[in-house]
Amino acid sequence: MGVKLLLEKAHVPNIRSYDVYRREGGYRSVEKALKAMDPASIVEEVKKSGLRGRGGAGFPAGMKWSFIAKPEGVPRHLVCNADESEPGTFKDRYLMEFLPHLLIEGLIVSSFALGSNDTYIYIRGEYAWIVDILEHAINEAKANGWLGKNILGTGFDCEIHVQRGAGAYICGEETALIESLEGKRGNPRIKPPFPAIQGLWMRPTVVNNVETLAAVVPIINMGGDEYAKIGVGKSTGTKLISACGNINKPGVYEIDMTISVEEFIYSNEYCGGIANGKRLKACIPGGSSVPILPANLLLKTAKGETRYMNYESLADGGFATGSMMGSGGFIILDEDQCVVKNTYTLARFYRHESCGQCSPCREGTGWMEKLLQRLENGQGKISDIDLLWNIQSKIEGNTICPLGDAAAWPVAAAIRHFRDEFEWHVTNAQESQVRNFGLAHYADEIHVPVSA
Amino acid sequence: MSEPTPLFKVTIDNITVEVPAGTTILNAARQIGGEVAPPAMCYYSKLQGSGGKCRTCLVEVSKGSEKDPRPMPKLVASCRTTVMDGMEVKNITSPKVLDARASVVEFLLINHPLDCPICDQAGECHLQDLSYEHGKEGTRYEFQRRTFHKVDLGDKIQLHMTRCIMCFRCVFTADQLTDKREHGILDRGDHAQIATFIQKNLQNEFIGNVIDVCPVGALTDKTFRFKNRVWFTKPVDAHRNCDNPKCCGEVQLWMRGDEVFRVTARKDEWGEVKEASNGKTGWICNVCRFDKKDAKDWVIEGPSKINRHSVIAQGHYEGVVKPQETLPEVLDGRQPKLLMDIHSVSQVNKPTVELSLLERPAHSTDFK
Repeated sequence: MGVKLLLEKAHVPNIRSYDVYRREGGYRSVEKALKAMDPASIVEEVKKSGLRGRGGAGFPAGMKWSFIAKPEGVPRHLVCNADESEPGTFKDRYLMEFLPHLLIEGLIVSSFALGSNDTYIYIRGEYAWIVDILEHAINEAKANGWLGKNILGTGFDCEIHVQRGAGAYICGEETALIESLEGKRGNPRIKPPFPAIQGLWMRPTVVNNVETLAAVVPIINMGGDEYAKIGVGKSTGTKLISACGNINKPGVYEIDMTISVEEFIYSNEYCGGIANGKRLKACIPGGSSVPILPANLLLKTAKGETRYMNYESLADGGFATGSMMGSGGFIILDEDQCVVKNTYTLARFYRHESCGQCSPCREGTGWMEKLLQRLENGQGKISDIDLLWNIQSKIEGNTICPLGDAAAWPVAAAIRHFRDEFEWHVTNAQESQVRNFGLAHYADEIHVPVSA
Repeated sequence: MSEPTPLFKVTIDNITVEVPAGTTILNAARQIGGEVAPPAMCYYSKLQGSGGKCRTCLVEVSKGSEKDPRPMPKLVASCRTTVMDGMEVKNITSPKVLDARASVVEFLLINHPLDCPICDQAGECHLQDLSYEHGKEGTRYEFQRRTFHKVDLGDKIQLHMTRCIMCFRCVFTADQLTDKREHGILDRGDHAQIATFIQKNLQNEFIGNVIDVCPVGALTDKTFRFKNRVWFTKPVDAHRNCDNPKCCGEVQLWMRGDEVFRVTARKDEWGEVKEASNGKTGWICNVCRFDKKDAKDWVIEGPSKINRHSVIAQGHYEGVVKPQETLPEVLDGRQPKLLMDIHSVSQVNKPTVELSLLERPAHSTDFK
């Protein structure tokens, strides 16, 4: 049984209500932070904890906090990014739905550390019912003196506002989120200036993921050094993984980043193995944007070492033979799944969600979708595969925001590792419409990937 | 007095210039000029906030600055990246940049109709120049291109979204020149479009400037549409005393003989409106643009200077020596004469159909 910090109390009946949450030891971190600590020392604790952003990029949260500009007389803002829209990722939904007070508690402490008197939760529009849960929790916290004016007599004022998005994936990108929060079209801004200097309403702003802010609570309670002892290397603390796909027990799991991928998939404590006794074919370990890996490279690195569920190990081998931790959306594909179709589905998603601001992403995502659709329908050509590879390489790195990269990586990885399945869709076009390529050699012991 | 802005040394394609701090790489490169200046489709120096979107001006920063010499990991949009002291930039000397630029051109063209033969912008189209100078031959795109219906934005401006490359310039123009913007971007991704929400006329007295900032033929002047090819007209500089205080009154008339076909703002070598002599930015009002189509309305200053690489320069008429007509000479003094009247032998092209009155290209149905 791994360490649980966030979901420890998730199964206590009625933990969603303030009274139960408080009885179970909730809001201790606010008392500790506001009464016994100053903002600088909270930032220092978070730095010591080694907490990395849980939204996908894995940037150290304490470092991000220390970048915030502090000009005289200009208000600062903390924005909680709850626009969780990555296909395969649903950990924040679980956290907010069942432990709303944990997020509120983390937000109060973080707001105090950053000096934000108006803190915003920008929540995905489709999470409409969670808005009610959060607003109810905010009202409860306010009624009990954890929010509002002069919290705990310390002179610190803080209000939390919940703002619903209108259903755009791009608004999870921090600058697009800020634009949308300001009431504008959710187009990513061109950086610099970074939000830490000029963010919401051109004021210094920190945007953090829900899970990151919730993790501040155990960090303050146990101290940054203690928190850093959990996990391994630079992957400290615990991480929520939302597992889905062809597994026996899909759901949200909290792991301490020391278990192996194999254990995570097959142990009964977590995913419980592949559903219906099928075999594992491939996995997207960190949400739809990260590179897909075939079974053999998922369980072992290219060097033959066991792959673990943490930032470094999942990224071992770079993009050639590794992937990324991403946002923790763990998607399992069994032997009956078609990688071409899966890639087409993802390309369609990114085409639909591209904001249309910069040319490579706007035009390239649509082009990739059309080519993949043709391949999936058995009407493609062998040259289409090389063309896809070329298009993705022209999008990656040439766009304003990371959506271009996120659209390019899944296509690149699918071609890199599953090129023969793509070719089979061309050479055996008719057969590809009636049956699947199957597991083929993707789980074989040693697999030397063909670099295209 | 405020402190003078420090000067930064920046080296672009091995040419060093000194520019004030806060200058963008693109503007520093424009000071050098020529091919060192990256192309720009969406950046417009007179429109605040423009740029960064089209990605044609991507450059490689091989040395960040004197203090921090690390190169930048990715290509950067030169129009939105400011120079640092000691920065070294590679534009045309970087194969990476040329490759990325060629692919941006390809991306911009995959949904562009390439209908230059019937497009009014042809000859002064930035996309035409861009694809000619930086693009590759042919296309690898084998799917149907995105199309839209043409929309009239009032009686003077036509929007042809099919040609649009989403530079956002017209949106910034309306934001910054008019009191209330009435058009914007609808939808997103490759189905995003410039539109008025529930078709409206664009009424503002300065809205005509969107035609001048449009780099392609998406926004065209309805008073000029299909009237002439720009390279057959002769641009002259002219001015009038416009009573609109925001209008600079200095324009370019596009004439044939004494007839004024079109009035536009004056453009500089980067295709942007020029500063007027009275210090105003060269925006002009709709009255000057659409309603003053008589040479008598204007004080003509003289022929505009046109870059000799532009196709428009072919209509250049300063010191032109007319080529000698040799046909009468070889015909023993007889003038050439059309030997056959096509209408006397064929009814395919009905002589009663006046092609110049059609609002659009002629179609076979016009002759039925």
